Amino acid sequence: MKGKLLIVVSLAVVALGSAGLVAGATLGGPRPQAPDPRIGPTAPLDTGAGEMLLVVLGGVYPTREDASAANDSMVLGDLQGYYVVPIAQFQGFREQIANPGEFALVSVFRTEEGAQEFVDLVTTYGYPAEILGERVRSLGGLYAGLGQEAHPEGSGPLLEPVPESLP
Amino acid sequence: MFHPSGRRRWRPLPILMLIALLAPLALGWHWAKLTGWRDRHINYPSTPSGYTQIVNRFGEPCNSNATAVWMRWNEADTGTSRLIYFHRKLGGYPTEVVTNKGGRSTNLDNDVYGHIQNDHLGQYTKYLVSTYACRLQRGSTSKWSTHAWGIAIDISSKYEPLGQCYSTTNKYFAQRFKSHGWLWGLSFCDPMHFQYAYDY
Repeated sequence: MKGKLLIVVSLAVVALGSAGLVAGATLGGPRPQAPDPRIGPTAPLDTGAGEMLLVVLGGVYPTREDASAANDSMVLGDLQGYYVVPIAQFQGFREQIANPGEFALVSVFRTEEGAQEFVDLVTTYGYPAEILGERVRSLGGLYAGLGQEAHPEGSGPLLEPVPESLP
Repeated sequence: MFHPSGRRRWRPLPILMLIALLAPLALGWHWAKLTGWRDRHINYPSTPSGYTQIVNRFGEPCNSNATAVWMRWNEADTGTSRLIYFHRKLGGYPTEVVTNKGGRSTNLDNDVYGHIQNDHLGQYTKYLVSTYACRLQRGSTSKWSTHAWGIAIDISSKYEPLGQCYSTTNKYFAQRFKSHGWLWGLSFCDPMHFQYAYDY
């Protein structure tokens, strides 16, 4: 009788031990929590006024509403994509676009690497993206994405002019 | 063979021997469906909660560590082996199946990806797979996306768009991420998104 009991207990220990090992390898871990939208950093609203910037263009539209609607349809996951700005916000912009319109979807950059990375990201999602051939001068106005490229030294986002962007 | 009472006699020894043989074999099969692969769990950082902890653990957004480690991730529907970059603390540690990339842990490349491949769930990871992007969150002019730290990955973007509050393909492997410290964005209707951070 004792022997039987010992066997049954041994069986249970082996079975539970194996199940525990397998479960431990595949399950467990901390429980997720819902994100809290109130928590987060702040990025400076840098318009680069006076600087010569590279423009990645997503489209030109006759009205702000048309541009906003087009922007809303471009989903890059949770990532910010283009910004809607009046074309007059940048000196030298209008001369470089073929389509007539007053508002554009743009994201502006100080470095070619940053602009190209954004083009790669947007085109991977299947949306239009074109770097304008000439830099344009920012006249201030609305935020258009500065600060969203990595600093060439890898120290964080680029939040200051670089030699290429100085007039 | 039969007990005098007519009842079949219980013979535990063969059963015990069978279990003793099969248990290690089953464990071995679990560990070794991929040649030499093992779930290693080496040097995982604890999952940060909120912006301050993210910065304390992973540095400023867009810093050089955010893209320090790379791997190729297979997209089953396109057949593409997509190159992705992520934070040094989430992978790149040398193992049986990962070469030394100067990383600190085995989290994303060896363990999570290894689990997905080992459990034959790679067929559910589809176009598009993307990780690092030095960008703000959609609709914000002040809040960085977790992609800016290289601690987020979007999988099957085409099939799991932002705003969809259910999952069609990522649900098959989401548990592998969750059990390795990741949060799945389905809880905020972003089923393509997995991030190594809570409360952000």
